[in-house]
Amino acid sequence: MSGGYKQQPGSGSGEIRKDGKRVAGKQSFAPPGSGGSRPVMKPRDLDFIPEMVGGKEKQPAGAHIHDRARTGTIVGKSIPLVDANAKVTGQAWYGDDVRLPNEIIGRIVRSPHHYAKVVSIDTSKAEALPGVIAVATGDDAPNKFGVLPVTKDEHAMAVEKVRHVGDLVACVAAVDEATAREAVALIEVEYEVLDSIHDMKKGLEDVDEPIHWRGKYHVGSTNVQKRVFQEFGDRSMVENPNAMYHGKWKYMGVNHGFTEPHAVVAHWDSNGRLQLYTPQQVPHYAHRALATVLDVPMHQVNVIRTFVGGGFGGKSDPFPHEMCAAILARKAGRPVRITFDREEVFWVNRGRHPSHIEVQMYADEEARISGFDIDALIDGGGFASFGHVTSYYNGVLATAPYELGSFHYTGARVWTNKPASGAMRGHGAVNTRTAVEVGLDDMSEQLQVDPIDLRLANLLPPHSRTISGFRITSNGMRQALQEVRKGSDWDNKFRKMPLGKGIGIGCGFFISGSGLPIHWDPNKFPHATVHIQIDMDGGVTVHTGAADIGQGSTTAVAQVVAEVLALPIEMIHVRSHESDTSPVDLGSYSSRVTFMNANAAIRAALEIKEKLLNAAWDTLGYHPDTLVLNDRRIYYKHDPAIGMSYLEALHKAQEDRGALISSGAYRSPPMGGVHKGAAAGLAPAYSFSAYVAEVEVDVETGLIKCTDVWAAHDCGKALNPLAVEGQIIGSCHMGLGQVLTEQMVYGRTGHLQNPNLLDYKIPSVHEMPNVTPIIIESCDPEGPFGAKEAGEGPLLPILPAVVNAVYDAIGIRINDLPLTPDKVWAAIAKKMKVEGIDDPADLPVPRLDFSELQKKLEQRASEHEIRDKRRQRSEDTDAYVNGVLFGFDPNLPLEDQVEGWKSADKPEPEQLAELGLAGKAWLKQEQRHMGGER
Amino acid sequence: MLMPPFELHKPTSVEEACEIASQLLESGQEFDWIAGGTDIIPNYKWHINTKPHVISLAGLEGVSTISMTEIGCMARLHDISVSSEVHPLIAEAASKVASSLIRRNATLGGNLCLDTRCFWYNQAEEWRSSIDWCHKADCGTGADCRVIPNQNTLCVATYQGDIAPNLMVLDATVHLIGPNGARDMPLTEFYQLDGMTRNVLQPGEFMLKVTLPSDVSEWVGAYRKLRLRESWDFPEAGAAAAWKKGDKSTLRVATTALESIPRRHDEEVAESGGDIKSICDAVYNNTKPVNNTSLPPRYRRNMIKVLIKRACEE
Repeated sequence: MSGGYKQQPGSGSGEIRKDGKRVAGKQSFAPPGSGGSRPVMKPRDLDFIPEMVGGKEKQPAGAHIHDRARTGTIVGKSIPLVDANAKVTGQAWYGDDVRLPNEIIGRIVRSPHHYAKVVSIDTSKAEALPGVIAVATGDDAPNKFGVLPVTKDEHAMAVEKVRHVGDLVACVAAVDEATAREAVALIEVEYEVLDSIHDMKKGLEDVDEPIHWRGKYHVGSTNVQKRVFQEFGDRSMVENPNAMYHGKWKYMGVNHGFTEPHAVVAHWDSNGRLQLYTPQQVPHYAHRALATVLDVPMHQVNVIRTFVGGGFGGKSDPFPHEMCAAILARKAGRPVRITFDREEVFWVNRGRHPSHIEVQMYADEEARISGFDIDALIDGGGFASFGHVTSYYNGVLATAPYELGSFHYTGARVWTNKPASGAMRGHGAVNTRTAVEVGLDDMSEQLQVDPIDLRLANLLPPHSRTISGFRITSNGMRQALQEVRKGSDWDNKFRKMPLGKGIGIGCGFFISGSGLPIHWDPNKFPHATVHIQIDMDGGVTVHTGAADIGQGSTTAVAQVVAEVLALPIEMIHVRSHESDTSPVDLGSYSSRVTFMNANAAIRAALEIKEKLLNAAWDTLGYHPDTLVLNDRRIYYKHDPAIGMSYLEALHKAQEDRGALISSGAYRSPPMGGVHKGAAAGLAPAYSFSAYVAEVEVDVETGLIKCTDVWAAHDCGKALNPLAVEGQIIGSCHMGLGQVLTEQMVYGRTGHLQNPNLLDYKIPSVHEMPNVTPIIIESCDPEGPFGAKEAGEGPLLPILPAVVNAVYDAIGIRINDLPLTPDKVWAAIAKKMKVEGIDDPADLPVPRLDFSELQKKLEQRASEHEIRDKRRQRSEDTDAYVNGVLFGFDPNLPLEDQVEGWKSADKPEPEQLAELGLAGKAWLKQEQRHMGGER
Repeated sequence: MLMPPFELHKPTSVEEACEIASQLLESGQEFDWIAGGTDIIPNYKWHINTKPHVISLAGLEGVSTISMTEIGCMARLHDISVSSEVHPLIAEAASKVASSLIRRNATLGGNLCLDTRCFWYNQAEEWRSSIDWCHKADCGTGADCRVIPNQNTLCVATYQGDIAPNLMVLDATVHLIGPNGARDMPLTEFYQLDGMTRNVLQPGEFMLKVTLPSDVSEWVGAYRKLRLRESWDFPEAGAAAAWKKGDKSTLRVATTALESIPRRHDEEVAESGGDIKSICDAVYNNTKPVNNTSLPPRYRRNMIKVLIKRACEE
């Protein structure tokens, strides 16, 4: 057989009569297709089969449970995303591309006031306007909703109060947009204006009319939505530190800035079911909220996720405008489409919280990190959104990658009369991470050591536990640091460059899927489910609810199925748009999709594989253990001539059964501590990253230009390196925006001054540095083929790396993001005054002379490197908990080892006096302790 | 966003354009001119001071000249920026305007007649209603200025064009035409210090072309623009300088984006005796930007010293 093994099954040509008559029992079917256009089998690609199972792919981190499922087909290979063609040819259908027959246009009436009671709404003039089909107000939908079950505080439209300029008051639907706009202007609303709050610090104070009222759990009569206290470890360790950093940081709010504004189409079909088209990251929560608000059972709602033109967290809440469209469509009996203007996108916001974060960090005589004190006050705007979680993340996601002597966190989220803050790429971790990484830079300067070595000598190893009880599995932090040090030529540049040029380091740590799902756990439902169905044509239909928001989840699912079944990716068809056909998936947030969905997909594919192999066993007589899957064929591993095509095996497997169907699910293992808030930040795996940024600072204007970034990210295993590199580069862009130019500016009157993409300064291509992505593969034991997240973690390190590089360039630390040129210039001017310098060209630049500690750190780091390699490869499987570096025995309970070891979730009375800004929220009592709201 | 309804007139000659303008004026109907549309269309989509009629200059014949001594009002900024005919300073300035896409449409006339900008003004209608409007677009309410409160006589919106200061330092003359005939004047006299009046254009009048002195090719200079991003952004401050090659005593300096008009600083230059630092300080002292663009006024004011210094470097 020349050229390889043929793929076409059956059908010798002699079996069909030339005269056109049928042979008894033989019908001339059109060939069902061999799968792919190549007629012969490709040889196995050993470069992409792990060495543990006979291939050539190196496995420095050791074997993985999915090794045997590898076929060398596609995992680890750079391929374009499977929906790329649809996008570049304009065939992808985004929210506003949906056109249903007879559709009408909805517009929303929005509050012109920051905070007001709605006294009355008169819709009569609007209703009388020719062309207006339906008008709705808050009375039409009194049920509350919210993304988190514990903080449902939103209505479709204002009930009683409006809470920020742009808050929804009413909505109209008309035959066209012009009429709808005209009708909006005709709706008369009488307001009673209330005293609004814009400064988050004011949110801590008691007021007459808090923005929301939480009944017996309300904290005093303040605007505190959530307060958090966490303390772990031995607090006495921070006394008499060898080095200490104290930074008070201010962060402006930032918006996701996705390309596609929100758009929704709602349609009640002929059977009275709601069909809702929306670009959602989390269709399932929208599904739940719609059922609640519209008072219909969930099975009467079909949420159809359109293509999503960017999400980044900004399309993960159920949104009031989705409710409005459904309400209007129900009233009108016609499909209703609502598309936002960019101002409306900013008004619905859910971007990163404006924050005041105070960080105190301590290092001891061994340059061990003896403690973190973090206090984070975050501005939630008018609604809770994801804020309950954000309040925790601002603290707990700083408990790694470093081994800490103690950890103390106070956090508070307050309501203010602004558009709501929520989840945004790097949720809750970004701002604190920036402060902490800059603090390490500052402490390394005090200790006169290299900041990379300081980090390398204080890392938690693989398979360890953080101080707060998070379970670290794979950990590529050390390798990431080493790679960026080498790639950037760090040792020849750091503290050695001339004024105006600088280099800086920053690290990141992020969850790969939240271990505790928002809605799910009591019932032990899986976090992700994938269904696979293969009919006689051989095409593989994969049903998943994973929402592809551009990150490539559809591609990841298709890839792992193609890998397991050894099929070309063109044969895998992912169906993920409709809740009617998709298994429930918790959505694209917390960087969970690749980890959870691909795991579920592997399980489903393995079930199909087993069926195919059993069929081949029947035919070939060889046990499945001795059969190999490769490029649409199944054959005996010692003699490829003994085999059959995939299609033949499939048809055999379908005998008397029809289509092959399987279902695979993933649920994260039980883990974590028992203290209040222990679940926040728990994840089945964590990603690690280290970036080095190089900047140029114009000392006369304060303008910063980031020129180069070396970006190492540990994603466990790059299923698709091209996609991972894209995520790294995209994260750099987004993080650079927050650190250099992007900010939501609330002016003198509290109005958002820049709700448009000209004045909200997202960096352009000119501002992009050369980014060198470096993929670190630590091979996570529980990740699909070893993979972890790569979508959010890569954002974190760019911010501190740039801030630290600016210090290296001009010797000034600025704790107020973004680093717009006016702030940098003002800081330079201030420093010149202090130093008595007239010309900024004479500014001193920091230089570094190593202390004796440097050698010690290098020594410790190299010892830890050996330790980490052994642990990574499971050559050392002893327990390791945070504290071993400080001499603890990992096998004894921590509280038994040191007097004063604490694990607390609320402050002791004697601590109250010394709490930071956000900690002040603990000075108030909840209503139930005040005798109120019983 | 939806464009408000208006009637579009498309004359094919200067005479016809003036004729249409006259007719509209006589019948008391308001109108706007549109050239490349990159300034007016975003404002219209935000429903800012819209008019029922719009006259397009895009179809006029013979108004797109690009040469060393003459540039037509409809010359596209992209064409100017890549032209080898035009003065290099003008090409440089044109290349720094907005983005490459916008420069393909935007025109010299539009850039010179750019509407003044202010973050209380360049906003959607709903947004402006939430601040009860402002002086520049008061929707009949007589609203106060939001930048300088408690007054509604002066508009302090900022002129943020890039090309005007460069033409000023090259001593350009603008040629206007309208129902009452043609007239010309130095560009330095074209602008009028008020964010609403902006310039001397009378109703029905539009800018036909800009001419430059015959010896302009002997002049050299530079333009320095302050902005956060290398694309898209309007200048937060800008300084142009030019001098006759080899003769710094002929130095002229002009600035933009600091107030409602661009301005040439002949007095400051004359009093400085040729000392660049004195010029910088004098302009700094005479400039008081207000808080209505992206960067704070104090910073913009200080940066003008750096920008002038750098523009004057050879």
